[in-house]
Amino acid sequence: MRVASIDVRLERRLAVWRGTALLVTSGSLLLALVVGGIFLKLTGHPPLDVYRELAKTAYFNWYGFTDTLGASTPLVLTGLAAAVGFKMNLYNIGAEGQLFLGGIASAWAGIAIVPGMPGPLAVLTVMFAGALGGAAWAFIPALTRAYFNTSEIVTTLMFNFIGLYLMQYLIQGSYSYWRDPKIVGFPQGKEIVDAARLPHWNFPADSMFGIAFPPGRTQVHLGLAFGVIAALGLWVLIERTRFGYGVRVTGDSPAAARYAGISIRGSIIVVMLISGALAGLAGAGIVAGQGYKLDPGGLAVALGYTGIVVAALARSNPFAVVVVAVLLGGLRTGADNMQSAPDNLKIPVAIAGMLEGAVLICALGGELFRTHRISVRRVPSNSDREEHLSGAVGVGVSP
Amino acid sequence: MIGSFASFLATSGINTNVWVVGLASAVSFAMPILFAAVGEILCERSGIVNLGVEGMLLCGVVAAFLAYDASDSAALSMVCGLLAAGALALVHAFLCITLRSNQTVSGLALVIFGAGVSNFVGEPVEGKQIEAAFTDLRIPGLHDLPVVGPVLFHQNVLVYVSVLVVISVAFYINRTRPGLALRAVGESPATADAQGISVSKVRYAHVVIGGMFAGLGGAYIVLVDGPAWNQENTTGGIGWIALALVVFASWRPGRVMFGAIAFGFALRANFTLQGAQITWFPAEVLRMMPYVLTVVMLIAVSITDVGNKLGAPAALGRPFVRDER
Amino acid sequence: MSPGDLASALPMLRIRGVTKSFPGVVANDSVDLDIRRGEVHTLLGENGAGKSTLAAMLAGLYRPDSGTMVLDGKPVNFANPREAQSRGIGMVHQHFRLVERFTVAENIALGDTSQPWKLDTRALESDVQRIGEEFGLPVRPDARISDLSVGERQRVEIVKTLYRGAEVLLLDEPTAVLTPQEVDALFVTVRAMRESGKAVVFISHKLVEVMAISDVVTVLRAGKVTGTVQTRDTNQAELARLMVGREVELSSLRAMGVRGSALLSVSCVGLVASKRHVLRDISFDVHGGEIVGIAGVSGNGQRELAETIAGIRAPSTGSISVASQSVGGKGPRKTRAAGLSFVPEDRLGTGLAPSMSIAENLLLTRPRSLFISKRKVQAEAAQIIADYDVKAPGPDAVTSLLSGGNSQKVLLARELAASGDGATSNHVLVVASPTRGLDIGATESIRKRLDDLRQRGGAVLLISEDLEEVLALSDRVLVIYDGAMVYECDGASADRTTIGLAMAGAIATENSGHV
Repeated sequence: MRVASIDVRLERRLAVWRGTALLVTSGSLLLALVVGGIFLKLTGHPPLDVYRELAKTAYFNWYGFTDTLGASTPLVLTGLAAAVGFKMNLYNIGAEGQLFLGGIASAWAGIAIVPGMPGPLAVLTVMFAGALGGAAWAFIPALTRAYFNTSEIVTTLMFNFIGLYLMQYLIQGSYSYWRDPKIVGFPQGKEIVDAARLPHWNFPADSMFGIAFPPGRTQVHLGLAFGVIAALGLWVLIERTRFGYGVRVTGDSPAAARYAGISIRGSIIVVMLISGALAGLAGAGIVAGQGYKLDPGGLAVALGYTGIVVAALARSNPFAVVVVAVLLGGLRTGADNMQSAPDNLKIPVAIAGMLEGAVLICALGGELFRTHRISVRRVPSNSDREEHLSGAVGVGVSP
Repeated sequence: MIGSFASFLATSGINTNVWVVGLASAVSFAMPILFAAVGEILCERSGIVNLGVEGMLLCGVVAAFLAYDASDSAALSMVCGLLAAGALALVHAFLCITLRSNQTVSGLALVIFGAGVSNFVGEPVEGKQIEAAFTDLRIPGLHDLPVVGPVLFHQNVLVYVSVLVVISVAFYINRTRPGLALRAVGESPATADAQGISVSKVRYAHVVIGGMFAGLGGAYIVLVDGPAWNQENTTGGIGWIALALVVFASWRPGRVMFGAIAFGFALRANFTLQGAQITWFPAEVLRMMPYVLTVVMLIAVSITDVGNKLGAPAALGRPFVRDER
Repeated sequence: MSPGDLASALPMLRIRGVTKSFPGVVANDSVDLDIRRGEVHTLLGENGAGKSTLAAMLAGLYRPDSGTMVLDGKPVNFANPREAQSRGIGMVHQHFRLVERFTVAENIALGDTSQPWKLDTRALESDVQRIGEEFGLPVRPDARISDLSVGERQRVEIVKTLYRGAEVLLLDEPTAVLTPQEVDALFVTVRAMRESGKAVVFISHKLVEVMAISDVVTVLRAGKVTGTVQTRDTNQAELARLMVGREVELSSLRAMGVRGSALLSVSCVGLVASKRHVLRDISFDVHGGEIVGIAGVSGNGQRELAETIAGIRAPSTGSISVASQSVGGKGPRKTRAAGLSFVPEDRLGTGLAPSMSIAENLLLTRPRSLFISKRKVQAEAAQIIADYDVKAPGPDAVTSLLSGGNSQKVLLARELAASGDGATSNHVLVVASPTRGLDIGATESIRKRLDDLRQRGGAVLLISEDLEEVLALSDRVLVIYDGAMVYECDGASADRTTIGLAMAGAIATENSGHV
């Protein structure tokens, strides 16, 4: 039988095998690495060596790994910020700006209100202020989305730029309360009090399990605990409470929510505020755990945008967010560490951003194969059809 | 209107020249936004939202920059800008049309990937300065008119091209057979499909062409402004402003033009005010203005439009599947 | 013998052994069919029997998996609708394929490759006008579709296929959305097309209409042809048997118990939405132990009325009470607490959250505590699956994967159980188009549940565009037109003609007071 054409189409899987999700995700990760590899090759870098070195410095080395955990801390929180919105099809891409405002608010609290407070209370106050600042920055987009259906995507994004310039104004453009008047030359922020600083984790011993540890302080700080607790809290909120049920129904079908008497506006506003608060917490973590001052350069490193990648890869599951954040945090750490690598492996830091984008694109494309399979049919030509009435062959191919 | 504004300025003793220069540069600065927004209109009229305008612009900029830097040919540079942005748009088309992915997330992915790639390949030329390829042309007889002359008739050739582009795109959408098919695909893909129009072909074509318009905007930045390639601030969010502008203009090319010029002015406010020696306004606050303006505009549009949806294509953002059963 | 008779002796379109399957279902199983010129050929079958799939293949929307189609002696295998159209096959879909924002002329030009690159609107409009007049289908070419009534839209669809030179017209359930008078007008047009030598394929499941309009009937059941008969040699009973495989008479069900007190009272309800009066001064009561049916052509305010009664919309004027408690405008939860439950027209998407499980969907209309527990609903979902014979893998099955009948069973079960067993005597149930798109088995079972509730003393408000359904179940019938109740009559003695006139707005609204 001659084959006139091949008919390729997608068919919905009648049953979704659980492992497919993992398979598809790993497949898309791999594909993204291939895409990145092409760009590396084109710019004259050996892809395999670069990837090997990158993995080594980010994950398979104690300094590197603790750096990775440090870099992941804000990503856990911005990832959760994006994930909670995804649950009801809200796209808060303003985590970036909300993080800045969280930084501004927590730095203010760390300078102005906490002096004199005992350590734990000071830390909690500073973090709370950060959450509040982030939530406040999400408030206008939340209200306008809830009441006028204004696209939260564009408004939250615009607030990122506004927040960025506000932060720059406070430190570089004026002698504000946040700026340290004693430093001449390059303008810098005022430091927060010692009590408000998040404690870092130090290697407990020289060796554990026979592995020798280098002594000293790591980049892992208490902010990571805030992130993990937030993930747990978010899971309970979404999966086990009345409010979370309403959020899930609204995300699934707003008409069903209306029918059930669930307040869509209320859910939108609360979810946006939670999202903003989580992003603000990320900013507070950076101020109180890393820079100890409002530092525009340290905050404006696209943590909010990467949070979207984290949430999308984690399919909005809070626990998966933690894992993916560590993975992507490692990518950032690795890219940074590569700057001190030998010349042929020295690659632009932007490799991290490029790979993040590629992973997201591949994972998004892979999503369909989780629920659908490709079916390839050979369609016989017309003349054959007269003789072979039952001549179609259906071949189902799983990806 | 511009004339009366100018005479007001003249009589009030303010240095008119500075404002005219400001307005003229606003027109020039409006062009990348305009091109990107017109491209997005073509894309959205087919029912696909492409939030990746910023990413496509960035890719257009870096490709045009590298090509111009290497070849000194403006034409080659423009082609490279178009192709790079078009390629990125093709990725979006493949994800959203063939793989039926979430258009919002795909657009965001495009921004992140576009920014990453442009920074990655642009790293070797970071900070490098190039000469502008297109300089301003004077239209004989008109360029020396007061105010109107410098603002409208003393611009680079691409500004004049843009007027043609806007008119032809509007004509194409509203008065031609393929334009009718385009509108039908965006309004009701099932209907278009039943009439034998290939929904995916129409969508692919317009997403990619729309992306190329963004690439043209990127090339414009390189060839007219001739800036240094700078990772942080080459586009400064104008891709997002273009998106908001599409909503503001009710998906009509003609209206986008005026909006773009207003934003061009806001983007240049910093320099214009400096020129006018008005310095009491902090630079950072001025730089916020275009973004504040966008938010205010979007909110205003949505307040006046509750429940009416302006002219948004009815099938905007929804994948089309014929055989789902 | 006239040339027309000679032509009709040979089939114009010959279909042999056509098979088409979709994942999990064989929609057409080696179907044979002959279509002749000057003939009205009905494809008869239940929902899901494969009529629409067969028509869609003729129209080039789907390609058969196997089998042959021969048109005027040449084998055809349409890759797309455009090819089918160019060979003279045009289809009018059940759901109109019209772009609402376009004018009539723009819709007709859409996809027509013979149009010039730069559209000539004026020439187009005069052509459309001419064809409309030729076949007795008056249309205004420059009118926007969104301003047209359902009947007018159907005319546009028919004009469109004729403009493209269709010789075979496929009409997919064309009468489903029409008033009886509009059906008559359509039949006049169909006969005119038959006289002019065109072939008309009429798809329907309404036996009365099939007997009235067709020359030949091909009956499909579960994707297979169960018989092809000349209309003059058959009768409704035989067709029904071919259609369902057994003698089925959907009997009318009426109240047998005592009419109780008024459980649902709607008084002087008006609703203004988007500056339009969508409901005008509506008043009626539904008593315990009765089903009140609301008939009307779709889009006359039925959806808004149902949503207003269910508390989803607040009435602009008037009041609503359930079991003597005033509920109007207090929201769905308070309304439900007063004893009203609601099965909306849109099952999946409104009545059920599509990507949630059956169990989780049970929580949708229940009072929920601060923390939700899945265990209780899990057991309840299992119970419903057993009691209602729902074909689902289990309580965790996602509702979007259920068939229409099964999801409707889940929805109805949830709403019937909402007030608890003891309270059914003063339970109010509002149902909108409860059996639309369901097969006969599911339809029967759903109707029986509604009747059960009535016999137990519950009050049922049945809102449906299917007049047969309203007449089969209701003790009283109300007709809604343009947001107002224009007619009321007893269910058992209802006169179709009068109801039809009322549905078409031909009866004035003088009796819109309390009925």
